[in-house]
Amino acid sequence: MYTHRSKKKILNVILAIITMLVFIYILFPPIMLFLTSIKKNVDALRYPPVWIFRPIGSNYREIFNLIPFGNYLLNSLIVATISTFLALFIGSMAAYGLTRFRFRRSKDLSFWILSIRMTPPVASIIPIFIIMRTFKLLDSPAALIIAYFTFNIPFAVWLLRSFFREIPREIEESAMVDGCSSYNAFFRIALPLIAPGLAATGIFTFIFSWNEFLFALILTGTRAQTVPVALTGFIRETGIMWSHMAAAGVLAMAPMILFTALVQKNLVKGLTMGAIK
Amino acid sequence: MVFKNLEKIAPIVFIGPAVIILLFIVIFPMIYSIGISLSEWNLIRGGNWKFVGLRNYYYTFFQDPDFYTSLRVTLIYVTAVVGLELLIGLGIALLLNRSIKKIGILRTILVVPTTMTPVVVGIIWRLLYNPELGTLNYFLELFGFKKLNWLGDPNLALPSVIMADIWEWTPFMALILLAGLQSLPREPFEASIVDGASSFQMFRFISFPLLLPTLIVALLLRVMDAFKTFDLIFVLTKGGPGLITELLSFYTYKYGFKFFHMGRASALSYILFLILFVITQFFLKYYRAGEE
Repeated sequence: MYTHRSKKKILNVILAIITMLVFIYILFPPIMLFLTSIKKNVDALRYPPVWIFRPIGSNYREIFNLIPFGNYLLNSLIVATISTFLALFIGSMAAYGLTRFRFRRSKDLSFWILSIRMTPPVASIIPIFIIMRTFKLLDSPAALIIAYFTFNIPFAVWLLRSFFREIPREIEESAMVDGCSSYNAFFRIALPLIAPGLAATGIFTFIFSWNEFLFALILTGTRAQTVPVALTGFIRETGIMWSHMAAAGVLAMAPMILFTALVQKNLVKGLTMGAIK
Repeated sequence: MVFKNLEKIAPIVFIGPAVIILLFIVIFPMIYSIGISLSEWNLIRGGNWKFVGLRNYYYTFFQDPDFYTSLRVTLIYVTAVVGLELLIGLGIALLLNRSIKKIGILRTILVVPTTMTPVVVGIIWRLLYNPELGTLNYFLELFGFKKLNWLGDPNLALPSVIMADIWEWTPFMALILLAGLQSLPREPFEASIVDGASSFQMFRFISFPLLLPTLIVALLLRVMDAFKTFDLIFVLTKGGPGLITELLSFYTYKYGFKFFHMGRASALSYILFLILFVITQFFLKYYRAGEE
């Protein structure tokens, strides 16, 4: 009995160490990025790497002068915010409709919407590029807003659908018996009830829009560029501006980590579009 | 009266806008794209579309050796990343399920790689892989090994990109599988303890079969995303050296927006679309079975 117990103890210690190593492995790369961002460029280029150095914040200041990084941040913010609100609005209506109204082929319609989410972006980017070019929308935030908003609809519909399903329809039904219209039931009763779900969905679509690269790369030029595209601009023929690129990278990812922390509870649900709770 | 009519058309008012927008911004362009794929049209040289029938497809399948290289690279890449991410992810999920009671804040740390900007993931790994000043080479030298040219060596480039992808996506797998493990019913485990089952037997005959639906959803989601990998390639290797890391999505992008050969790029994108369409059907079928 005694040996069995101590064996178990040793096993637990080993497992705890492995768990710790896993988390170190996950955190090490972003930590390296952060360390590079607070090094002077000469220190960042030194080999072997210097581990002890005077941290500086000037890289973070300088990126705003080297390139119009402020504009790019603003572009990303505008595009992600507007496309998120539009996707939430249209998506929540559709999700509500699909869960509450019984009609033929409603299931097929849901799955048709889901299947759009699966199309490879590189397949739709060519025609969308040509269409945006025809309407002279290239290099404008509008092009990205339209693209992101549309491609976030299927995600929003599916995730919100799973939230609407969790609230009992009886509440709305009894209100409708009292003469409340579907529209009122939606805006006054159902929507407030899924407010946390709505927030989680919004955070996810915001993260997707903020992180998106391919559409931003192709649909924007110098004016409407977003942060991910601007980041690749630090890779130049003359070499990579490591410490500045690292600082910009930290600024790009920090808000996303914060947002992820906010959706903790719905993380798995969001990442699988409601397939797994 | 008006109120009554509005109520009658409520389903259309609710669902209509989403459907119309999707039709206009996704489906219509996809159809338009069929037209482009059947034409010869170079964006730079200008001029009009010239209808060439299936020539772009013919070229891709029978005259373009690079297409098969790219297809092979893509298949190797997808198989390798998804397979390894599933295995390692399952390992991590089992580990966390056993050793950690409440996951809480650790969950946020776990998905940092997955929710951070993919371009930044690329930048980080480029920094780590840098042959002159990268941390990985520093550690190699520290332990007495020779420096490696991670992204420049033809034998190493693909495994290096795969390694970055694994870092980015394994936590995603682990998190989903962990959620699956934690939602398993307790009774079968209690019963099997009474029957004296070993922990391997418990995994093999209870956890694994019960976890299978979750596992398949995670697997299919990951396969679909892996086929679309673009950002990582763009930042790390641009498909090089040679065509060693040229995934289909990047190859298509190159035809369209480097060579501006829109016809061929559209044909390529349709081939990629069809591959994904088949996988998507599996996913939807499975998902649907779970819903009903």
